[in-house]
Parts: sequence; C-alpha cells; structure tokens
Amino acid sequence: MEKLLDYTKYKLKPKEEIVELIKDKDNLFVFVCGKCYKEFASVIPEDCKELYPILKENGKNVVECETIDFLCNRHHLDIRKSGFQDGLKKSDNVLVLSCGVGIQTVANFLEDKPVYAVADTIPQEGQHGIALYNNKCAGCATCFLTATQGICPITNCTKELVNGPCGGAKNGKCEVSKDKDCGWEKINQRLKVTEFNFWELPVQFHKYNRVNFKISNKYNTAVREKRSRNFYGGVYPFENKEYTSEKPIQQFPEPETVEIPLSQHTGAVCESLVKVGDVVKVGQKIGDSKSFISAPVHSSVSGKVTAIETKPHPVIPSGVTTITIKADGKNEYHESVKANKEYEKLSKDNLIDIIRDKGIVGLGGAQFPTYVKFKSPKPIDTLILNGCECEPYVTADDRLMIEHPEEIVGGMKILMKILGLQKGYIAIETNKPQAIEAVKKTINNLNLTSAIEIAELPTKYPQGSERMLIKKVTGKDVPLGGLPLDVGVVVNNVGTSFAVYNAVVNGLPLIKRIVTVTGEKIKNKLNLEVKIGTPVSEILDYCGADLKDGDYVLKMGGPMMGLLQKSLEVPVIKGTTSLLVTKKPDIKLSSERSCIKCGRCVDVCPMELYPLYYWYYKNSKSQNVKAELDNTGLDILNSKSKHGATNCIECGCCEYICSSKLPLIDNIKEMKKEAREVKS
Amino acid sequence: MLITEIKPKEEILAFLKEKKSIFVIQCYGCKEVVYPFDEIQKFLQENSINYVLQDYLCNHEYSKEYINKCKEQIENAEMLLIFSCGVGVQSFSEMLYNNTELKIKGKKVYAGCDTLYVNGFQGLTATEPNCAQCRKCHLNYTCAICPITSCSKSLLNGQCGGVKNGKCEVDKEMDCGWEKIFKKSEKMKDKNCVLDEKIHLHDFKIIP
Repeated sequence: MEKLLDYTKYKLKPKEEIVELIKDKDNLFVFVCGKCYKEFASVIPEDCKELYPILKENGKNVVECETIDFLCNRHHLDIRKSGFQDGLKKSDNVLVLSCGVGIQTVANFLEDKPVYAVADTIPQEGQHGIALYNNKCAGCATCFLTATQGICPITNCTKELVNGPCGGAKNGKCEVSKDKDCGWEKINQRLKVTEFNFWELPVQFHKYNRVNFKISNKYNTAVREKRSRNFYGGVYPFENKEYTSEKPIQQFPEPETVEIPLSQHTGAVCESLVKVGDVVKVGQKIGDSKSFISAPVHSSVSGKVTAIETKPHPVIPSGVTTITIKADGKNEYHESVKANKEYEKLSKDNLIDIIRDKGIVGLGGAQFPTYVKFKSPKPIDTLILNGCECEPYVTADDRLMIEHPEEIVGGMKILMKILGLQKGYIAIETNKPQAIEAVKKTINNLNLTSAIEIAELPTKYPQGSERMLIKKVTGKDVPLGGLPLDVGVVVNNVGTSFAVYNAVVNGLPLIKRIVTVTGEKIKNKLNLEVKIGTPVSEILDYCGADLKDGDYVLKMGGPMMGLLQKSLEVPVIKGTTSLLVTKKPDIKLSSERSCIKCGRCVDVCPMELYPLYYWYYKNSKSQNVKAELDNTGLDILNSKSKHGATNCIECGCCEYICSSKLPLIDNIKEMKKEAREVKS
Repeated sequence: MLITEIKPKEEILAFLKEKKSIFVIQCYGCKEVVYPFDEIQKFLQENSINYVLQDYLCNHEYSKEYINKCKEQIENAEMLLIFSCGVGVQSFSEMLYNNTELKIKGKKVYAGCDTLYVNGFQGLTATEPNCAQCRKCHLNYTCAICPITSCSKSLLNGQCGGVKNGKCEVDKEMDCGWEKIFKKSEKMKDKNCVLDEKIHLHDFKIIP
C-alpha cells in the first residue's frame, strides 16, 4: 500500500509572530487539535512540542493544555467541557493550535474569551474526499471532468482555464509556478489516449455563481441535523426492509427433528432433565438450572430424545450440549401447557414464576432472562417495550406488531402489573407506519390510551439500543457500565411481551418465534414462525436459498450486529431474529490497511467513544503507545473512563462507516478482553 | 465531507447517446453525506442502466480491487460513467491510466455529478465556521472570525460599505463578516483587533 504522508493540516506560525502575539498576554490556556488525516505515528502533534518552549522562554504561565481530536466538531468541546472548565476560568487568554475551522469553532464556543491562533492552515491535496491522494476538487458545482477526461482543469491549472492551455507553459511546466506541471498538457495527453473529442465540444464556461452560499448552507445544515437527530452519532444504512415488510407471518412446516441447545440465554447453562430414549411432549421442560441468571428450555415438538451431545451453537463457538428430539408428528401438548383463565387474579410473584418457568428470555437478540429484570433490587418507574427494530433487513417485530397487537399490549399489561406501574411506553420507529397504526388502534380499543403511550421515534440506527431508547423516551442517562435498572427503567422487546402473554394466558412456554429469512441469496424472502430447535439448513432450503456456489455469508440477526455463522448445522434459538444470507463482499482487501484518521468513526459512535484509538492501541508498533494515549487523558483501558473500550455496545456503526474498511469491532472485542484483564 | 448534485439529465444523456455499452460506477458519497442517491437511482432505472455501487471511490486500494474485479466489464464497456465527487472521478480515472495490466487506457470517462463546496469540511464536520486554507491565518486580528470566508469579497481591511442591516450586498442572506468582527471586538475590548493594527496584506502567492 502507498505510504500515507503526514497530512498535517496546519503548521505553527513563525516564532517571531508568536512572540509578538503573546507579548502582553499571560495566563494562557492552550487548545490543541489532534489533527485529522495523518499517519498514526504519534498522538500528540509535533507542533505542540515546539510551542511549549516558546511560551516558557517568554516566561508565560500556561494554565492548562487540552488536546482534543477533531476540534472542529463542536460536540467534542461540549462533552469534554467539564474537564477543562476550571482551568479555563483561571486563564485570561486562549491559544488555539489547529486549522482555521478548529480555531473558529473554539471562538464560537467561548464567545467572551479572547481566542488567538498560533497556527496557519495549509491547503491539502485530496482532502475533499476521504482518502489522501493527489487529486483535489474545488467543489465548483460545474464538473468539467468529462470534457477533460478525469483531470480537473480548475485545480490543475494555475489560471483555472477551462478552454485549453494559455500557451505559457515551458517544458510542460506552468509559467506561474515553475514547479507545477501544466494541467492542460496533462489533459491533452489524456485526450489523445482516449480519443475524446474535446475540441468539438461547445465552449466551456466556469459558472462561478453556481455555488451559492444559500444552497451549500442548506445542505450543510441538513447534514448536521441528520447526524445529530435524536442522539449523537448513529448511521443510516440501506434498510432493505421492503423485501419482507409486506409478507404476513407464515407457519413453518413441522420439523422432523429439532436440536435444542441447553443454553439459549445469557447466564448459566441448563442441565438436562431428560435422557436418551425418553418420550417428550410439546412444552415439556427438558432443561433447567438452579442459577439465578438462567432460563429453562422446553421441547418444541413431541417425540423421542435421540441424542444428548455437544453440537455447534450459533452464539457459542465451542458448542453446547444439545438435546436432539425426533418428532412423532402428533404434536401432543404436555400437561403443563394449559390456558389460565383467571390470569388476571395472579399475584406479582406468581407471574414472575410463570415467566421464569416458561423460559422467557429477551427476544431482541440479547437473550437475557426476562424474569431477572423483574426481580430488580432497585425501584422501577418506567417500562418501555422496544419495537424499534433498527437493524436493516429484519422485519420480524414489525410483522408481529401488525398481526398480533392485542397479545403484545396484553403482555405489556401483565408486565406493568408485575412492576406496579400506571404508565408504559411502546417505542416504534417511524419507518413502520402500519405497526404504529395497529398498536394505536388496539390501545384505543382497550381504552388504555392513558396507560400506554406510543413513542414514535425517527428512523436511525441504533435507535433500538437500550441506552439510546431510554435517553429518547425518558430523557434519562444510563450511567456508564450501568444497567437500565440503575435509572429505574425496564426495556423489553415486543416479541418478549408477546411471549409473556402466551406464557401467562395460554400456558405456552417459549417454543417458537418469528424469524425473518431474507437477503440477496434467498429466493422466497419470508417472515416465518419457527419452532425453536429447527435446523437452519431446513429453513434455508424451504426459502430457496442459493448456496451451492459457496458465495454467501450467513448471519443470524441483522447485518450490523448479527452473528456470522460458519456452519449451517446450527438450530434456531430463542434469540434468532433473522437469518440473513447475502453475497460475499465483492472484494477482499489486504490486512495491511491503516487508519487515516478521518474521524468518521468518532462522528458516528453513539456512545461517544474514539474507536480509532482502539485500533491505534492494538496495531501500533510503537512502544510508548500507552503512555502517549494516557497523555491525552483518554484512559481507554479503564471501564470507568468515558472513553473506555468496555463502554462499546458493538453496534457496528464505526465499522460500517470506516473509510479504510478496518475490522474495528473485532479489534474492540480484543480490547475489551484486555481491559477486563487489566481490571482483574 | 462532500456535497454532490446530479448533473442535468440532458447533459448526461447527450453523452450517453449512441453509446451501446456503459459501465456505471456509483460512489455512495462518503456514506451518509449528501449524495443524490435516489435521483441517480431513478435516472439509471429510467434509462435501464446497470451499475456497480461502491463507497470511498477515492480510497485507492479499495478502488484498485474493484477495478480488478470488474476488469471484463470495464474492458468491454465503451464508456465509464462515474457518479461521484470530483476527487472520486479523478482518482478513478488516474488509476485506470496508471494500471498497466489492464488494456483500458483508452476508456472514456464521464462524470455524472457536480460537486459543491461546503463550509467547514476541512475539519470533517460540516459546521458553519469555514477555512480557506490560505496559509496565512488572520484570525488573531479579527476576533477569530475569518474575514476571508465570512466576507464575500474576502476583504482584509474592514467593511466595504455595501452592507445593509447587517447583511452582505453580494448575498442578502449572508451576514456581513466585518460587522460581526466589529461587534465582537467591541464586546471583548480586544486590543489586538485589526482596528488598531497596521494594515494586513493577503499574500496569495504563499500557496505554491
């Protein structure tokens, strides 16, 4: 790979100028920008090391120096404000070492403190695009690149001529600047190669009035608004929900055998309650654990246990003890499965017991045992049902809300009763108007308008993440490393509410769920109601997946957070929201890519972290990385730090946006492991 | 950070005329930035043109892989239509011509988009403060409001006198930068402000 230059965006002003500037000023506060677009050799810019001696020589008192990356992003100043506020108060003058945008941002931010620039900004090649190459674009809104076959006359010709060379070039060099190649000579050569008939085109005019402050400012504001809508960061990937959003939920045919793993939840693995040869019925409990954080598993078919052995598992790479049951096709229900007519009279503890007993776990994908949330040692004041489903492609919750709003609202009523709440929210993204309509109608019909409120949230990924959801709906901030319980909130998926209703009212354990089967490689993209334990390969066959050429990627869950499946021999488990089969990425990139510090990942991280530093930390060859990173005050290995890697929710926004296509999430997972070791 | 607009359809169609095979490359504008994705999609559908979608066309390594992948298609196409910002089109065409393995040196390249200049994009975020990267920072004398970018005429010696109600005479939507500078200097009682300073000259030749 081409070596990246240090794309310094600014350089320190000449010493004399700085000395002159600070002559009558003291008590200085220095803001330093960590620079964008640079080779990651060190965190602190060289210019900063030059500035200090100058200030010291002149006997100036530097109150504090704050290094902030991407200083132009006002948000960064705001979130780091508490750290430097005191120092700022004590200082009289503020010096900024940054490009012009950064200096002006600081000036806007401080308003009443005099701000001085100690750097000059240098124009850069190619910075209009993300990558750092020799091409430059003037953004003039009248692109001549067709006429000149890909060499820009505006940026390559000193005189910005658009109708051919001026005639002053000597030996291919510009007459204005002798170091510069004549752009038109280059264009001419290329036109010869392409045989493009430039000379017969009508005369080209540069329309200077095309870029109007109003137009560009309108776009400009729109970009910022879109980015900061609702919560900081986040991305807008292609949704692709239209494949399945109109497909009603279909029943998947009875599987012949099911493989039920004894761990389909966060927490302790269950112990088997049956042995090989036993006859089981639908809904019979076949695995349970005495641990607090755990959930029992049930048989989803009636038939005979044929094997209990370790088999591949979609979430746990090393495999999990799995009970294989051969169905007899009778589908007889176990005696424990019976409708509970008087469920409204049940006490809180009875209800929690039922939820545990029927093996209900969070169906949004995390699979956290639901009953645990209701045994909170802290007081709970809000219940939110999460129907955001912000993952692209997936429509399981969407269809469930459209087709079964009564059960979902019924389940919610039960959950609210357990928590003793008068008020609850159902959060739905606005890209699901049908679901909003259906749920609204149900709430109206049941006269629950005062008890249950629908929170319509703008579509943005990851809106469905607990932290973002709670912030948006209740305005509360979940503390770092904390749980929703810490702010008195319980969040449940709408699917979980549906399962709770079925468990309490119909006595049905969690033995089936809605799975969206979708992706480019699937012929019949469907929403299916599938029994837990059904082999994935069977479902894919049923939907006409074209896997013969091996050119496919199977993910369980959505494209952003879904788990990559290497084997087709895994069963559907409680947390399987979707089976996504897409083509393999078109191209393979070498592993030697490097971060160009474009800052996109910082711009989109909803947790306000610095994913690029985790990459720098893990991949830097320099020995002093840690000390250097500590100097910036980021403290990325500390879970209590705002910028600690352990705060990452692995939503995948940074990896999605990364201009160098770095595997940032894998990197962060490693970081987290390291951070945990540091802690212990 | 870039803003791209699709060129007038007639202009593109005029180039497409009589061309049998076209290879279209779309750069999904730095992801999430203003890129007329729907409009381009509609245009391509109306004219039933197939396309390859890619992001970060200006990322050389990434584009190189793409060129190798679509080798045949590119070789067979009569022309290449690229929907991207100026940097993307230039990078891509440069790479085509430098790639000796491919026999595609003579491929004609067409740009389908116009690129607009946007405030503050030197600093990654499209924020209001703007920088002209003139290599001679005047912010120290102007209360950190840039006269080059916030004055339509890039004046360095104060107001031109054409301002009405604080708005620029060139663009009535735009605030007069110099009025802002004066107001701020009054508020801050800034000693260094240009009012008490010797006249500054903008050295245009400082940029090589």
